[in-house]
Amino acid sequence: MSKIENKSDNKDDNSKSKEDYDFETNEMTATKIRNVIDGMIHQIENMHQPTFTTKVRGQSNVHFNDRDRILELGDKCTKRSFLNLGHARKFMQTSLILDRCYEYLRNQKTASIREVYYELKRDIAKTKEYTFANQGESNDVIVDVEHAINSIREKLNLQAEPKGALYGDVTLKDMKHDGDEFNCSTLGRGGWSIMSRIEPEEIKILNVNANYLLVVETSAMYNRLIEERFPKKHKCILLSVGGQAARGARRLIHRLHTECKLPVIVFTDGDPYGWYIYSVIKQGSMALAAHSKYLAVPDAKYVGMTISDVETYSLQNVTETLKEGGIKRAKEVMAYPWFSSEEWQTELKTAIKKKIRIEQQALANKSLEFVAEKYLPEKIENKIFLP
Amino acid sequence: MDKEQEKNVSSDSKTAENKEGVDADVLFTEFRESSVADFFKKNRQMLGLYGKQRTLTTIIHEIVTNSLDACEEAGILPDIEVKVSEIGKEYYEIYVKDNGPGIPENKIGSALGKLLAGTKFHRLVQTRGQQGIGVSGIILFSQITTGKPSKVISGTNNGKTFSLEISIDSKTNSSKIANKHYLDKHYRGLAIKSKFKEIIYKKGQNSVDEYLRRTAISNPHANIKFEDPFGEATIYTRTVKKLPKIPQSVKPHPRGVTVDEMLTFARHSSTRKVSSYLTGTYDRFGQSAVNNVSKLVHFDLNKDPRKLTWDEAEEIVDAIKQTKFIAPNTDNLVPIGDLQIEKSLKSIVEPEFLAVNTRKPSVYHGGYAFQVEAGIAYGGHAGRSVVRSNSKSEDGERETRVSEIIRYSNKAPLLFDAGGCVITKTAQSVDWKRYGISNFDNAPITVFLNLISVHIPYTSAGKSAIADEEEIVNEIKLALMEVARRVGVYIIQKKKDAERQEKRRVFSKYVPYIAEALSSASGCSKENLEKNLLKMVLERLKLDDEQNGFNENKTLKSKLKKDSSKAIVEEAEEFDKENIDEE
Repeated sequence: MSKIENKSDNKDDNSKSKEDYDFETNEMTATKIRNVIDGMIHQIENMHQPTFTTKVRGQSNVHFNDRDRILELGDKCTKRSFLNLGHARKFMQTSLILDRCYEYLRNQKTASIREVYYELKRDIAKTKEYTFANQGESNDVIVDVEHAINSIREKLNLQAEPKGALYGDVTLKDMKHDGDEFNCSTLGRGGWSIMSRIEPEEIKILNVNANYLLVVETSAMYNRLIEERFPKKHKCILLSVGGQAARGARRLIHRLHTECKLPVIVFTDGDPYGWYIYSVIKQGSMALAAHSKYLAVPDAKYVGMTISDVETYSLQNVTETLKEGGIKRAKEVMAYPWFSSEEWQTELKTAIKKKIRIEQQALANKSLEFVAEKYLPEKIENKIFLP
Repeated sequence: MDKEQEKNVSSDSKTAENKEGVDADVLFTEFRESSVADFFKKNRQMLGLYGKQRTLTTIIHEIVTNSLDACEEAGILPDIEVKVSEIGKEYYEIYVKDNGPGIPENKIGSALGKLLAGTKFHRLVQTRGQQGIGVSGIILFSQITTGKPSKVISGTNNGKTFSLEISIDSKTNSSKIANKHYLDKHYRGLAIKSKFKEIIYKKGQNSVDEYLRRTAISNPHANIKFEDPFGEATIYTRTVKKLPKIPQSVKPHPRGVTVDEMLTFARHSSTRKVSSYLTGTYDRFGQSAVNNVSKLVHFDLNKDPRKLTWDEAEEIVDAIKQTKFIAPNTDNLVPIGDLQIEKSLKSIVEPEFLAVNTRKPSVYHGGYAFQVEAGIAYGGHAGRSVVRSNSKSEDGERETRVSEIIRYSNKAPLLFDAGGCVITKTAQSVDWKRYGISNFDNAPITVFLNLISVHIPYTSAGKSAIADEEEIVNEIKLALMEVARRVGVYIIQKKKDAERQEKRRVFSKYVPYIAEALSSASGCSKENLEKNLLKMVLERLKLDDEQNGFNENKTLKSKLKKDSSKAIVEEAEEFDKENIDEE
């Protein structure tokens, strides 16, 4: 699996950002797929059983890169062979996906991952079996292919559901929609719905007029801040991820940070799940460890909610109980190397000890406007962040 | 006693009469001698005739056994027809017809109308395990329950075919014949028609159907036809055209002899000296044994054996206990035979797999020769079919196969008292898991076991279960383990074959899709890719087989065949030769 060559190794730091994200074109991706297919054909023609090699995903092959502060996928590979009873079905599925993606790339078409599933679902002659029993199977294989050729799914011309919203003074140009240019502060109260494909050749970021990017967990908070005119008053871009951030949102966050030099501040519920959402945006996820380079923002900062906030802003009577599952999760999170800082350890310990969690919408207890007028401005201005 | 004392006694007794109880004279006026037949009337359970279903089966057993024996002795391949008809509640008519030698006119009375008159009682011979009452007992039983005589038709090669009604005078133990007339048709054999009450026909494990099925299995040379009260017929066609050897009577081995036998045989002996009587009558009784015995007894062995006393006989038996004897001669045991059992089981049980093993003869209790024949039929129609109610499914009922152990003593099926029989107990004590049968009770398996001996140790007078003799248990176990092992090999091989098939299927079914996908993207020929992939699948399977020792198993199997009977191979050749001639 050849890594994408960095075409501009010797450029200076200023233009580093432009080269960091991949310049991979449809043609380049198509070639990579074709190489895999050709490899298999070569094996078959020489009477060797065809194989498919991809990276091992999962904890055993994921490690934290201290220097770059992102989660990375190791080099462990797994080989799938046609003549292995346990692999045969997956192998068949892989060949189907490879062929389909190649088709899309050649014909400049995109498809949702669900459409791929439907397109490829057929029954296998003389059996009660289907090529794909459910979308989970095809999704898995797509990820396999991604990792095999080291290209993000979007490069394969596949897309998922849109998730998340963007609001603020940022001008985008949609190359696949007649070159549409639009500013996300004039699209109405909802802002722009973030698609799953935010690749540079499709969505260009023309202009940004803001001091920072604020990423919020809940769409309720997103709406609150828009209603309070927060982005305008504080000159920031607002992005809602709607729970665990989807690829598109993460990609966009990454691009806004690297292309436009926007500092990223994350605002989630004060519980292990919220903190994990932050961690994914910051370090990357285990599932997509291979692509952390294009998704992670190691410099992101965390503004809240923290357990210390409860004390600071007298929110004791609006905390929720941290239940069994939450405590377990908190302990897991405590063990991640990227939460090893003293501040985080204290937060987590307190959460476990006091068995509490605090939602971001709980700030409404003070007043609806409190979050937009007091809490956020105070903390952001004074840089009261967690690393 | 002097006269005076006598007088006193009689007067005393007179007074005694007045004082207490009944005088012996009075009691004894009622005393009568009971005949054998009377005894039988009152004690029929001793002869296996208790329980309504069991009685019916025993009746059939006695008559059919009689026919089989007669045919064999006359050198005729048996054709036997059995018919059971329902006349009323617990009232049936039983009809059995054979193609045997028949019974001559002048002998019919004594053959069928007299109890305990037969040729087999005083010989030590491997017999089919009858109760010993024979057909006469059946005729008497019919009389007892219905008051009617039995109808008999008999034809021999000489003389006319005749029909008559026969009943038994139980007081004199002799026959009463009526309505004798001659028939024009030519017939050789014996046909009996008898009515019985207090019996029930039921299907199931202890039924006539099952009895005849098992009889057919152990007598592959017989044609047996059975018609049940519903008019449905079952036919067992012979799979062997050769008559079995007739077991010869053997000399008893000294070890097993009782004092009474010792005395009785001596009294009937035609030798002049006890020593010659001993060496002439008993197996393995040589001069050295005689010398040893003479040292231990307190009388002269030269005396006339007919004058032997009870005490002297007892001394001899004790002396025998302290004398060493070679194990008895086992030559006279006649097993059914591996090949015959195989043909029989194959035809009647219709299994997927069959393994049979005849052990070499052995000796139990120091004096009795015996031999074990074991067989296992597995899969296919082996085992017993039962309908189980399936509480999970909505269908309610489901037909499955469960295991059955079919037991034989001297080729005669043992149907009752399975739980107490050494065959059942030993079969159940085998570790079937080792042979790939994880749940023996619910496996489709028929275990066949035949114990042959001149003296079968039954657990009771009912003669339906065999007792636990150590040597017998051992032999049964070894025989079963041998066949179980072969079944185990088969089961494992079957599993492997299934796996192989599965693998092949799994790989092959995906090939077209892979070929299509790769060819569509690359433009390469789909057919070529398919061809290569399929070839690879086959090659790979071959490789797998070798690695898994498939070939190893093949050689193991053929080795087994070589080892466990060169004799069988030879016999087979001989056997086939003979069969071909007859056909």
